[in-house]
Amino acid sequence: MITFNNVSIGFNKTPLISIDSLKLNKGELYILIGKNGSGKSSLLKSIIGSQPLLSGEIIIDSKNVHSYSRIELSKKISLVKSTFPKTDYLTVFDFVALGRSPYTKSLGRLRQKDNEIIHKSLEILNSVPLINKFTSELSDGERQLVAIAKAIAQDTSVILLDEPTAFLDYSNKSLLHHTLKRIAKKTNKCIVLSSHDLELSIDTACDFLATNNKTSELTFMKSPVSKDDLLGIAFN
Amino acid sequence: MNLTKKQSVFLIISGILLPVLCLVHLFSGEINIGFQDFIDSFFNYNHENTNQLIIRELRLPRMLMAVITGAGLSLAGLLMQTLFNNPLAGPFVLGINSGSSLFVAFSIMTGIPFLSSDLGVISSALIGAFTFGILILFFSSLVRSNVSLLLLGLMLGSFTGAIVFILQSASSSEELKSFTIWAMGSLQNTELSQLPIITFLFILGLIGSILLVKPLNTLVIGEEDAILLGVNSKTIRLFIISITALLTGLITAFCGPIAFVGLAVPNLVRITFKTQNHFTLIFASVFIGGGFVLVCDILIQLLESNIHIPINALTSLVGAPFVVLIVLKRLA
Repeated sequence: MITFNNVSIGFNKTPLISIDSLKLNKGELYILIGKNGSGKSSLLKSIIGSQPLLSGEIIIDSKNVHSYSRIELSKKISLVKSTFPKTDYLTVFDFVALGRSPYTKSLGRLRQKDNEIIHKSLEILNSVPLINKFTSELSDGERQLVAIAKAIAQDTSVILLDEPTAFLDYSNKSLLHHTLKRIAKKTNKCIVLSSHDLELSIDTACDFLATNNKTSELTFMKSPVSKDDLLGIAFN
Repeated sequence: MNLTKKQSVFLIISGILLPVLCLVHLFSGEINIGFQDFIDSFFNYNHENTNQLIIRELRLPRMLMAVITGAGLSLAGLLMQTLFNNPLAGPFVLGINSGSSLFVAFSIMTGIPFLSSDLGVISSALIGAFTFGILILFFSSLVRSNVSLLLLGLMLGSFTGAIVFILQSASSSEELKSFTIWAMGSLQNTELSQLPIITFLFILGLIGSILLVKPLNTLVIGEEDAILLGVNSKTIRLFIISITALLTGLITAFCGPIAFVGLAVPNLVRITFKTQNHFTLIFASVFIGGGFVLVCDILIQLLESNIHIPINALTSLVGAPFVVLIVLKRLA
């Protein structure tokens, strides 16, 4: 699904993360965990091809991420950023509908099927009541759910999420992790989310990718992972 | 991106209002023209009849130019605002108008007879808009952030403004007068024979904008996110800036640098329609922009016997307080 070969990620020739060889599979949720500034966002941006690699290659479904056209790639991977666009007069429906834009024809008209997918995506995140609200009226937590709904509507085999739980309360955080895990299993997607919330992540019981800013290595940890191991590797 | 009931009603009302205002505009003016002459001027034209001549040769071009000016500049402003994700963007801010002004100032103040003729001024304005459009396009390939590009556009504007000032202070009073008259803007300099090409170019810009609806809708969440949805942002930028240069250059060439329409109307449209669906926004901008300039020009004709107001003064007079309101609303 996602294969890393001798990948080095960083800025100005200084590597933040090195990955010799790693394979991420469909149907799984991976939590990318590590300190602030240890390169979690850079790794996510590199997977989606918007940050150039220092060396090596990232392969998505047997093709290098940089050899996809933009439109092809938008049907393969989606990214949920930690920031939300400040746009006035954009309804939740219209926002989530943007997730369908890689699939619509030149004038962007939505078909019946697109409408169904938009509703279903919102349903998965219990956000259907928000559908006619403007995104500018939502709370931070609601925005995060709607942003994830857009990624689900984009119907990609890989979903990357950069700190998706930052603005959620504890029960919603936990719920979101479990929902994402269920989506990964049920729809056979590969989902990677970054987090620095240790306790919550361990409760989710999934595989971990731990960054470490001292060794610059990314460690793959198979579930079940103990808190002490994770503390030792990701937080020194 | 479905229309709500309110949006459909607004769109239909503004769509009906535009042709109504066109008719009102054709009947306004100092000379009262009867209904029969009006009909005859289109279907049974007699060029010896002064009233018919006025309708066909004077009022029709003026009316169409008012519509095209309002609609075209609003459309150009809408595209700029979406591309730069900034409600204060527009052909003026980006320096496309300044290109026209600079070239026109040069052509009028060099004293070369051909350049200061009508044709000379029109071609200078067109060439100026396209040159600066291409310049902005070149800048846009160098800088990634839209804010930087906006800043470059502003710098371009102030720089050319300074050159125009120097040219003005060095020119004769005759040249200064004709430049000032051009800069005031006028809807009356267009002849009937020029209308087909102007209308054709305007419709070209309109169709081009409609074809961009999908990328425009995606760009409202920012260029970076639009790219992740498969938008080829460099190509789209090129298209948007070309359409803007075409519309702005065309209008500035024939009517002078008309301020504020391109800035105020798209904002007004977004605020009243409360949508980011560009299919709606494009048509609403065309209807309301065209209607706005028609109303301004009808007002000008009503006041003509007492005071002569240049179109550029009236649009700014209405537009400037509006921009202030937007800024205050954003701060609040």
